[in-house]
Amino acid sequence: MSEVISAVPSVNTRVFFSKTDRAKYISHLDLNRAMQGAIKRAKLPVWYTEGYNPHMYVQFMLPLSLGQEGVREVLDFRLLEDVPFEEVTERLNNALPLDIRAVETAAPVLKNTDITTAEYEITADIDKEDFLKFTESEKIIVEKKTKKGTSEINLKPLISELSVCERITLRLPAGNDFNINPMLLLDAYRAALGKELSRVRIVRTKILCADGSEFR
Amino acid sequence: MTENLYKNTEMMNKLDEFLLDIQKPARYIGGEVGSVIKDKSKVDVRFAFCFPDTYEIGMSHLGMKILYGLKNAVPNYWCERVFMPLPDMEEQMRRRGIPLYALESLDPIREFDFIGFTIQYELCYTTILEMLDLAGLPVLAEERTELTPLVVAGGPCVCNAEPLCDFIDLFIIGEGEEVNLELMRLMEQCKKESAPKREFLERAAQIEGIYIPSLYDVEYNADGTVKSITARKPAPQTVTKRIVHDIDKMYAPDNFVVPFCDIVHNRAVVEVLRGCIRGCRFCQAGYIYRPFREKGKTAILDQTRCLCENTGYDEVSLSSLSTSDYKDIEGLLKTLTDYTSKNGINLSLPSLRVDRFSEEVFKEITDVRKSGLTFAPEAGSQRLRNVINKNVTEKNVLDSVKIAFEGGYSAIKLYFMLGLPTETEEDIEGIYDLAKAVVEQFYANPNRKKGKAPSVSVSLSTFIPKPFTPFEFEPQASEEEIRSKQKHIMEYANDKKITISRSKYDVSLLEAVLARADRRVGKAVYLAWKKGCKLDGWEEYFDMNKWREAFGECGLDMSFYANRRREYDETAPWSHINMLVSREFLINENKKAHEGETTPNCREQCSNCGIIKNVGGDICRAIR
Ligand code: SF4
Repeated sequence: MSEVISAVPSVNTRVFFSKTDRAKYISHLDLNRAMQGAIKRAKLPVWYTEGYNPHMYVQFMLPLSLGQEGVREVLDFRLLEDVPFEEVTERLNNALPLDIRAVETAAPVLKNTDITTAEYEITADIDKEDFLKFTESEKIIVEKKTKKGTSEINLKPLISELSVCERITLRLPAGNDFNINPMLLLDAYRAALGKELSRVRIVRTKILCADGSEFR
Repeated sequence: MTENLYKNTEMMNKLDEFLLDIQKPARYIGGEVGSVIKDKSKVDVRFAFCFPDTYEIGMSHLGMKILYGLKNAVPNYWCERVFMPLPDMEEQMRRRGIPLYALESLDPIREFDFIGFTIQYELCYTTILEMLDLAGLPVLAEERTELTPLVVAGGPCVCNAEPLCDFIDLFIIGEGEEVNLELMRLMEQCKKESAPKREFLERAAQIEGIYIPSLYDVEYNADGTVKSITARKPAPQTVTKRIVHDIDKMYAPDNFVVPFCDIVHNRAVVEVLRGCIRGCRFCQAGYIYRPFREKGKTAILDQTRCLCENTGYDEVSLSSLSTSDYKDIEGLLKTLTDYTSKNGINLSLPSLRVDRFSEEVFKEITDVRKSGLTFAPEAGSQRLRNVINKNVTEKNVLDSVKIAFEGGYSAIKLYFMLGLPTETEEDIEGIYDLAKAVVEQFYANPNRKKGKAPSVSVSLSTFIPKPFTPFEFEPQASEEEIRSKQKHIMEYANDKKITISRSKYDVSLLEAVLARADRRVGKAVYLAWKKGCKLDGWEEYFDMNKWREAFGECGLDMSFYANRRREYDETAPWSHINMLVSREFLINENKKAHEGETTPNCREQCSNCGIIKNVGGDICRAIR
């Protein structure tokens, strides 16, 4: 594993982008293709892998599930020439579909392993008081798919910063090694409620580090 | 600004309710790069461009991209895309009362001025009805009394539009580049004048290339053949197809809608020529797209560069009926590869002919690398290839195959037709013999990889006679005949390295019926659709029993349309349509076919097909 990574020059550009509205129906694979297309149309001088079949090297931090929106998602690549970050943002926006927008470009500060948590905003046709009560139950046991099949986990201690006002906001563990999809919580609530939830909208609003600061 | 225009919260909320339960939702929400968004308040004419098949197929179609770009280039016209939803999506839409909508604005298409279908194959006819119905419109033209939405259709199949006359208000015959805009201008005007539908149609009938079926009366003979077709004023007695005279100055798209999800052909496509010089007698495209016109090298290069830059595609394919017939193909490839190789773009050439398959050209094809090599000799013997005027010899095939094997290939696919006019058992055996000769060619290569065996697959389709070809008079072979031909080749087969695949007869029969149908068949199309037929081109949805019932219920005999020889003096259901190739020429070609006589390709010698007489001397560039 480490040899493979050392063959890749380090990334020097981090684009924060949003993926909302119609774009929430684009799978991660299709997002990858759409981003690479945009980078090509924007004519950004990005690094390609070497070898027989070179391809553009881009890295996404946390894939979003199909149907979920994100307002500050993360994409990394390496620029081979200096392009002012503001210009990168602008050129990308001219080349991206309307519902995928580059928000900001910066030099990467942290590593993907620094990500521990993500914050979500959830709206749905649900009784918020009832939902709050549900999250206060002692245990919220859900089935989570892992590489080795499914395992039961208790979501209760994993939820943090829950607030239920106009919208529901909460934080859940995030990262490449351990990630909790907010749908797990909603599915558990739906099961407890015994009926379908409608108008569910999930937006990932922040990607966070252990100290609670935003991933940079 | 545009971002707000583009939001259709009402429809989006409805879709959000269920779209995640649908297979590949990305194909139902638009929003792709390159899709055109306009301010509705500044748009005078809205056109819903419908492709009566799935997103993946429709989005791969060049003609749609051309007309989409062309119409949207006019500031106050807005053209949007519409495809046929698959059953999981359609079921939800119907259940929730969501009418068929266009992908750009997400607005229901019944609010548009035009609903336009491009008709590429006969087996999409019921899908057209399904789309109209899903849009919330009556499928019968006479029940749509308002001026808008006006339902129009174009594409190769409308050269015999008769089975669709009950459903479509207006047909566009021939090339759409100019006439589409003329129609939209007429609509703009008629809307301003609040003209009724009738008036619009009568005015449109006077535009060259426009066929208004409701202005023609058809009478039949006692034996069921057409007696006469009479135009009512002000419609012309004969509708002549439109062509674009200057192909270099013709609109070519500088951008494509780049889909999010994978489609059949996800790449840039540049048209290099129109028409075909070959004159294969079974091939409708070879006649209805005449005259032959080539784009200049500079135009092709400019269009390639522009498209690749705007779309970001790293693959471009050259499109035409027969790209290797481009006069200076080597020069063209050189010009293009200078650009593509510098920019990391792959060039692919899908429609190559065997007899111009030089090593030089071979090196340039990347397409082939992926999919394996295919050749279409179409018939098994030289005699029968002469009958169909497919001027390819066994030597051509074997020479090309030799280059391929030397280039490291081991899989070859060969396409043939069964049921061609005059076909005998020897011709059928010839198919297998040719496949065996290909296998031998593999072993003749001294540098072949030891221990590796070639794989040759033979694909047998059923010949379908089409209007405006020299074979429009021919009967299609019956099911029993095709079965016995298939049986014969299976009995003759003795080599495991050759695999044979056969097409389903039912599908080819229906295609043959619809291709040469008259107006009465519209009733059967309607009934088949009522019984649930749609997406007939998809094996999983095709149901021949429903079609048989439909024909039975309206007292029509499929074999009357498919399996009957038509006399030269019979009035064809499409005899009021002039595709510029003369009937005398087609009859003469048919006679020559039966005598096994070939016709030289148009570059060798002009055979006076009627184009020059109809259009004038300098339009056909095959002879220059
Ligand atoms: S006019 Fe002559 S050269 Fe042109 S397509 Fe017809 S036969 Fe061929």
